[in-house]
Amino acid sequence: MTEFELSKQRVAEGRESRKAAEMPRLSADEKEALLHRYHPDKKKEAYATIRIGPNQGQQTVHEVVRLLEGESPLTSKAPDLNPAHQVDVLIIGGGGAGSSAALMAQAAGAKVLMATKLRLGDSNTVMAEGGMQVAVSPEDSPVRHFVDSLKGGQMANDRTLLKALVSEGPEVAKWLIDMGVLFDREEDGNLSIRSGGGSSLPRLLRCKDYTGLELMRVLKDAVLNEEIQLLEFSPVIEFLTDGEGTCTGAVLKDLDTDKLIVVQAKTVIAATGGIGRLHIQGFPTSNHYGATGDGLAMSYRAGAALTFQDTFQYHPTGSVFPEAMAGLLVTEAIRSVGAQLLNVKGERFIYELETRDAVASAVIRECQEGRGVETPAGRKGVWLDMPLVDVLHGAGTLAEHFPNMVKQFSRYDIDISKDPVLIYPTLHYQNGGVKIDVDSESTLKNLFVAGEASGGIHGRNRLMGNSLLDIVVYGRRAGKAAAKRASEVDFKPLTLSHLDPFQAAKKAAGVVSETVSPILFPDYVNKG
Amino acid sequence: MTISQSVAITVGDEKHTVPEGMTVIQAMWHLGDAMVKNVGCLGGACGACAIICRLPGQMLPKTALACQTMVSEGLNIRFLQGDPSKKEIAPLPAETPSRETVFQYYPETRRCVACQACTSACPQGIDVMVGVREAMIGDLALVAERFTTCVMCGFCAAVCESRIRPHRMGLYARRLAGAFYPKPPTQLDMRIAEISSGQFDREWNDVMQAAQNA
Ligand SMILES: Cc1cc2nc3c(=O)[nH]c(=O)nc-3n(C[C@H](O)[C@H](O)[C@H](O)COP(=O)(O)OP(=O)(O)OC[C@H]3O[C@@H](n4cnc5c(N)ncnc54)[C@H](O)[C@@H]3O)c2cc1C
Ligand code: SF4
Ligand code: SF4
Ligand code: FES
Repeated sequence: MTEFELSKQRVAEGRESRKAAEMPRLSADEKEALLHRYHPDKKKEAYATIRIGPNQGQQTVHEVVRLLEGESPLTSKAPDLNPAHQVDVLIIGGGGAGSSAALMAQAAGAKVLMATKLRLGDSNTVMAEGGMQVAVSPEDSPVRHFVDSLKGGQMANDRTLLKALVSEGPEVAKWLIDMGVLFDREEDGNLSIRSGGGSSLPRLLRCKDYTGLELMRVLKDAVLNEEIQLLEFSPVIEFLTDGEGTCTGAVLKDLDTDKLIVVQAKTVIAATGGIGRLHIQGFPTSNHYGATGDGLAMSYRAGAALTFQDTFQYHPTGSVFPEAMAGLLVTEAIRSVGAQLLNVKGERFIYELETRDAVASAVIRECQEGRGVETPAGRKGVWLDMPLVDVLHGAGTLAEHFPNMVKQFSRYDIDISKDPVLIYPTLHYQNGGVKIDVDSESTLKNLFVAGEASGGIHGRNRLMGNSLLDIVVYGRRAGKAAAKRASEVDFKPLTLSHLDPFQAAKKAAGVVSETVSPILFPDYVNKG
Repeated sequence: MTISQSVAITVGDEKHTVPEGMTVIQAMWHLGDAMVKNVGCLGGACGACAIICRLPGQMLPKTALACQTMVSEGLNIRFLQGDPSKKEIAPLPAETPSRETVFQYYPETRRCVACQACTSACPQGIDVMVGVREAMIGDLALVAERFTTCVMCGFCAAVCESRIRPHRMGLYARRLAGAFYPKPPTQLDMRIAEISSGQFDREWNDVMQAAQNA
């Protein structure tokens, strides 16, 4: 038997004796020490200083520095900027944040255009599994939700943004239900809730392990019902400004023809999502094909400041075996119902519901210190003992509550009700992003940013389930605020003149860049 | 490290050799195609990568999601280009819905001849035909449950001789079932009332002050 098989056998043998065992929680000091030593955010070699722009002098990872300091695909002298479309609100991105924004802006009477890189709905949102946090139970309260999120965020969260997030949660849940989102329910009709890492009470609304699919399907259907004007396969490649600090539109690229499309808009909402496909520090990712941080690069060049641009979430349980599944997420909810983490010796090493940063760090520690399991492709990982869930709650629990997980692994002949799976942290979420105020407006006038592309709400670490809430709460806020603003202002000139000072600053700082950003898609194509 | 073996696959009409252990999408990248039009989530949830595929020993092809399918020796692959079926503009009604509400927008649902083609075509393993029959008898809650895992790839509609659009009907039934859930979420309604009546205001003051100082 290989070491791999032997180790797997140890996990099976230990299951009965482990099932009732308590695992001590980390003290604040222990957690701090663990993060400091093992969390990828603390790895100095991975970081560099941003040399130009609003966040000049601050740090972020090399991959993001390259993006921010990248070359524009356009020059200020380039194309003729005659608009093909003139709208009140231009919405960029077809995930949950963009769709929520579009619905609200349209409802407020604005003329809306939505442009997205792939098809409407092809996004990170559609993949969310675990659920959405809303304080609904009588024991719970928005204040408690706030405190949990603040602790989870290492006390760094923007308080005003966070308060609006948790306070609007219930109203937003109602909005979704009225639109036809089918959250799991209890016998008595109340919303069924589950606990998530870092939360002091169960507060996750969900639709089995297809919460994002359910949300996205309904939002997309609602957007199509409203007949909101939509351009798919049309990524934005640069924002337009009046040259005086106001966003006035954007340049899109039609992926079918490679032609540029100029849009003049009174307000712009960037809901372009995350950065997983930049593979920061070489990590595999759980993100969709278009998660390349385009919104960050373009907002920054146009003059919008970023915040917490140095912190990322590495979800502790990304699949590492088989190789074709590397990076794919195994939902945290599976740990909420009792699945344990085990090293090569079959021993537990962390309380499984610590916050994600702590659990991920503990997994990295085990692997760095030789207690990981090596996959045939040479990756390292630890075991996630999912069969334990059926032992604890009765046979069939996995099949009933995690049908998606069961199906994904069965496609590779792995039966998660019988065998543990190997996991390692996967690049999952951008904790920071474009700095916004409580109306979702960035520091660049008339540019609103919502969802994963924005930063501040989650501080230095987002709690599970707070992102789905974020995209709907702030998507809606952005939609409302952008529509209102559009009713108060006129169209302004379309220029790319903001690129000139940016170029000059690069020259002055001696920045030589080989990256053209936004990059739109990861470079996976073999040029062989 | 294991030494990687090669497998022969056919994409459309072209034959290729690719390393074993890749998904069909990874194999396409390996072959030099970025697949922008056929990739979305890469996580089996969006349906952008729907394919029809067949192994040498099989008589009939089956449907699958290319981001969730490993290449294997002799695999024959065809990519689907989107879902051409029409989505009706179907708003939610004001009154409690019945099967007539569904038929109003998707009247062809009544024409199902129970041929099972849709069920065999579903890459998600949904018993689509049963979902359509459940709609015919008007049990929208069952229809809703049936289509929980639908990724809206449109294969079911593509194969239906009766020109039914099961997935679109199913999504509409889901939205109806969600919006008109028979029992209200009382706790949620109470919480909304508590928040708007300012019940947490004092607690907020204390916590915000403490948090500013932290
Ligand atoms: C596998 C997975 C599971 C998750 N599970 C949960 C969970 O259980 N609970 C939770 O709260 N959160 C979860 N998250 C996080 C959450 O799903 C995301 O953070 C959130 O959905 C992001 O929504 P968004 O609308 O901001 O971005 P996205 O949904 O990613 O949408 C961004 C959109 O912008 C488009 N776009 C990108 N660049 C451009 C451009 N240049 N021009 C035009 N369009 C562009 C994209 O194609 C996409 O349509 C999960 C994430 C993943 C990946
Ligand atoms: S029900 Fe139809 S659209 Fe939905 S996954 Fe199955 S075949 Fe695709
Ligand atoms: S393919 Fe059409 S006719 Fe046949 S069972 Fe499905 S819905 Fe009915
Ligand atoms: S790319 Fe979304 S299902 Fe395959």
